[in-house]
Amino acid sequence: MSVKVEGAKSENMTACGINIVEKNRNAIINPLVTCQPLGAMFAVAGVQRGLPLVHGSQGCSTFVRYGFSRHFREPSEIAVTSLHEDAAVFGGRKNLISGIGNLALRFKPDLMGIVTTCSCEIIGDDVEGFIKVAREEMIDKMGKEKAEKIKLIHISTPSFVENHFKGYDNAVKAMVSTLAEDPGESNGKVNIIPGIVNPGDIREIKHMMSLMGSEGIMLTDTSDPFDSPLRPSATQMKPYYPKGGTPVEDISKSSNSLGTIALCNYAGSAALDLEKKYDVPAVIGQLPIGLQNTDDFVRNMVKLTDVEVTDELLDERGLLVDSMADLASRYLFGRSVAIYGDPAMVSSIARFVCELGMIPAVACTGTENPEFVEDMKKVSKESDGPIDVLPGQDLRALEVRLKEEPVDLVIGHSDGRVIAKDLGIPLVRVGFPVYDRAGYHRVPIVGYNGGINLLDRITNTVMEKYYDETHWKLQQ
Amino acid sequence: MPYKLFDVDKDIPERKKHTYVKDKADPTEDIPACNTKTVPGCMTERGCAFAGVKGVITGAIKDVAHVVHSPVGCTAYGYGSKRYPTSPDMPDGSKFPIENFNLKYIVGTNLKESDVVFGGMKKLRQTILETAKEFPEANAIYTYSTCTVGLIGDDMDAVAKELSEELGKDVVAFNAPGFSGPTQSKGHHVANHTLFDCLVGTKEPLETTPYDVNLIGEYNIDGDLWIIKSYFDEMGIRILSSFSGDSTHDEICWMHRAKLSLVRCQRSATYIADLIEEKYGVPYMKVDFFGPRYCAENLRAVGKYFGLEDKAEEVIESRMKEIRPQLDFYREKLKGKKVWVFSGGPKNWHFPRPLQEELGMEVIAVSTMFEHEDGYGKIKERVDEGTIIFDDPNSLEMEEIIEKCKPDLMLSGVKEKYLAHKMGVPCVLIHSYENGPYIGFEGFLNLTKDIYAAIYNPVWNMLEFEYETEGSTNEDIKEEISHGEMAEGEVGK
Repeated sequence: MSVKVEGAKSENMTACGINIVEKNRNAIINPLVTCQPLGAMFAVAGVQRGLPLVHGSQGCSTFVRYGFSRHFREPSEIAVTSLHEDAAVFGGRKNLISGIGNLALRFKPDLMGIVTTCSCEIIGDDVEGFIKVAREEMIDKMGKEKAEKIKLIHISTPSFVENHFKGYDNAVKAMVSTLAEDPGESNGKVNIIPGIVNPGDIREIKHMMSLMGSEGIMLTDTSDPFDSPLRPSATQMKPYYPKGGTPVEDISKSSNSLGTIALCNYAGSAALDLEKKYDVPAVIGQLPIGLQNTDDFVRNMVKLTDVEVTDELLDERGLLVDSMADLASRYLFGRSVAIYGDPAMVSSIARFVCELGMIPAVACTGTENPEFVEDMKKVSKESDGPIDVLPGQDLRALEVRLKEEPVDLVIGHSDGRVIAKDLGIPLVRVGFPVYDRAGYHRVPIVGYNGGINLLDRITNTVMEKYYDETHWKLQQ
Repeated sequence: MPYKLFDVDKDIPERKKHTYVKDKADPTEDIPACNTKTVPGCMTERGCAFAGVKGVITGAIKDVAHVVHSPVGCTAYGYGSKRYPTSPDMPDGSKFPIENFNLKYIVGTNLKESDVVFGGMKKLRQTILETAKEFPEANAIYTYSTCTVGLIGDDMDAVAKELSEELGKDVVAFNAPGFSGPTQSKGHHVANHTLFDCLVGTKEPLETTPYDVNLIGEYNIDGDLWIIKSYFDEMGIRILSSFSGDSTHDEICWMHRAKLSLVRCQRSATYIADLIEEKYGVPYMKVDFFGPRYCAENLRAVGKYFGLEDKAEEVIESRMKEIRPQLDFYREKLKGKKVWVFSGGPKNWHFPRPLQEELGMEVIAVSTMFEHEDGYGKIKERVDEGTIIFDDPNSLEMEEIIEKCKPDLMLSGVKEKYLAHKMGVPCVLIHSYENGPYIGFEGFLNLTKDIYAAIYNPVWNMLEFEYETEGSTNEDIKEEISHGEMAEGEVGK
């Protein structure tokens, strides 16, 4: 264990330049992660006419709906089997079977993701078996054809194991492995597993692919469901289903694709599954934030397909490079940054800030994914500077670290706003959840265009804090 | 027949008894069925018992560290979930060193699979000790059971008792796992009983006055409590203990020394007022400060109890003088507008009368997530003929109400707000408010302003693209465009 103390940095520093600050308590204080079911609900929400059914207590769905609505400012329809004391004693069989039946009859979804929670996992419900019974009851009530149109996907997400990234990964894998059909003729498409990102990010990925003349199957596509137009005359009501989402049929056809790119390293299980079962090549990469990570994504696309990197796309790249040339050295160079949140986002943003000449002094995430530490080693090598890495940590640990050694800028989601405010360090908001600012779910931070947005956001925050009009630098 | 089955509920006919349409000709004591289990899979808006304890009641206390005994999820979801600010002022005149401590930090035991198998008591013990070390400022530590803990059966009370002695400060365990009771209301119940059993009567206030009250069931959402406090201050009444908005831990412990308890949220907190009256003989009065008339009536009643009627009149008069002209303006704008009130519990009988009397609005439906029989009784008394009263709404019912009753406004929480918007209906948040506080005289004006802003948001007149605008026909537009850059063929696509 190497708890970071003053003066101990050089001793703890490994050859690759990262200084791991390990957790020195059991308590988790202001977590940076949440439980598996949230990730699963997020993934299912990205399916066209897809509904999550949470097999658990009402809080398990309510807190997540609340969180999604607060971040996306959109409705978030998530059903629950309402487990109570009787289920704790006798099991949740009745609740799950009637829950599936009621949801199917009243909402007629194309896909139902049955998401497990602490309670049903502990009482040991045979979810798979209950789903079979529910299916038979559905056939009795709705007829075979209608009942079979509704895909029932069992997503096992015990909340006391891992965290919401794993839940997302499990859900995408469960949907793909249940639905993927034996491959037919190649569809010429690329499967993309975007990870837990914003609608704006998914749209940017689709935009880049369209510039390359390529089409993708998003596994899954939350862009429209979590950012959908207000058009009462055109919106489907009774029941309300948002626009868009990945059609079930597309998920079935994911086995016919040229390859699968997972945009973050925690969400690759479905890609590996497709590779193993159907020889669909899997590329598990970085979240394409910043110049090099986006270049990597483009190169991966070229590898999997025979697309060309068009001039238009290179112009977009050029616009990002132009912004970096214009802004980075004057405002950002040499400034130290602390980044926290989703491991994929933290490591990608760390790489980007290095490209801007900034110093990613602290990188903090709530999971202990070994990939995260490896990613940070690479970033450290590229930036040629030491980084304090806090894996499996929480916001309190970050606060303590920043109190000891402040940085110029913090990058992360809204839960860190109080820390940043108390420490007087400006916060650039990214990731999930951002509930104290507007529009951040719409504006991409991935891809070349997203790079420009993020760069502007960082620069403007720095300007506001360090280049106030009364400051001498602006007078020059 | 006062009961009504929504069209969308034909597959779950058990919902019929939860929907009551007020009918004066109906001589029965009928009210919607309530406080019973939700139909699984029906898209309910309800929450869990843990939300009831931490999210509603204890989370508002300013100087307590909260330890959620759970896997990471419940801890993450228990963080800063409600807008109840606290002031740093402590009863002894000192200042609590961390601003808004109650909103800033949440601690969890981070239970893993092995804890589920072998039990989590060791981890709980360790976490509480670490919490005491991490936050020495905290005057007490409250710890919460969750589904996982309820199922594996950790004896939290034992740990709390042992550590209270070891740490020399109160450690209190709240045993309300998420699955207990049909709604979050079960959590309120457990919180009340636990706070009473473990704390009330264990400490004495520094001083008492003949005008000391417990203000119970006021959680200081967006500063509500501070409005009421300003009235009481002017009247010469002192809030000895508040339960639990902006309260300190010690205040809960000396609730038994008040001369009178005032119960504001009568769903979540009447329990403790009852218990205090029974054991310590402190009488209680149910109060309602939403809307000018109720606020005035209740201030008068409190004033009368303490012989401070004149002071109450002064407060009422000064406030009404300020808000009356503005309310008159808004009344002109809002009269006749139809509104659906969907709150957790009591706001359903707090809001309808003021909205109708003061603003001339028409309340077409009220619904709640966790109200009980007594609350529905009060709702039934206060709403007009034909108003739909329903329990535990689900989203299809929401859609049906909006489609059939065409409300001009919905008052609800954030989960429902955006669905209403998608259907073209403005919505004002009444759980944690838009621009609160909403209580008292000036608070009601704030609510009115938010209602006005929501209904008169210009966007609601521009939801759909119109081919024709006033003074120009479709042909004119085509003509105009065809002379411009856009080709005629593109028009109307």
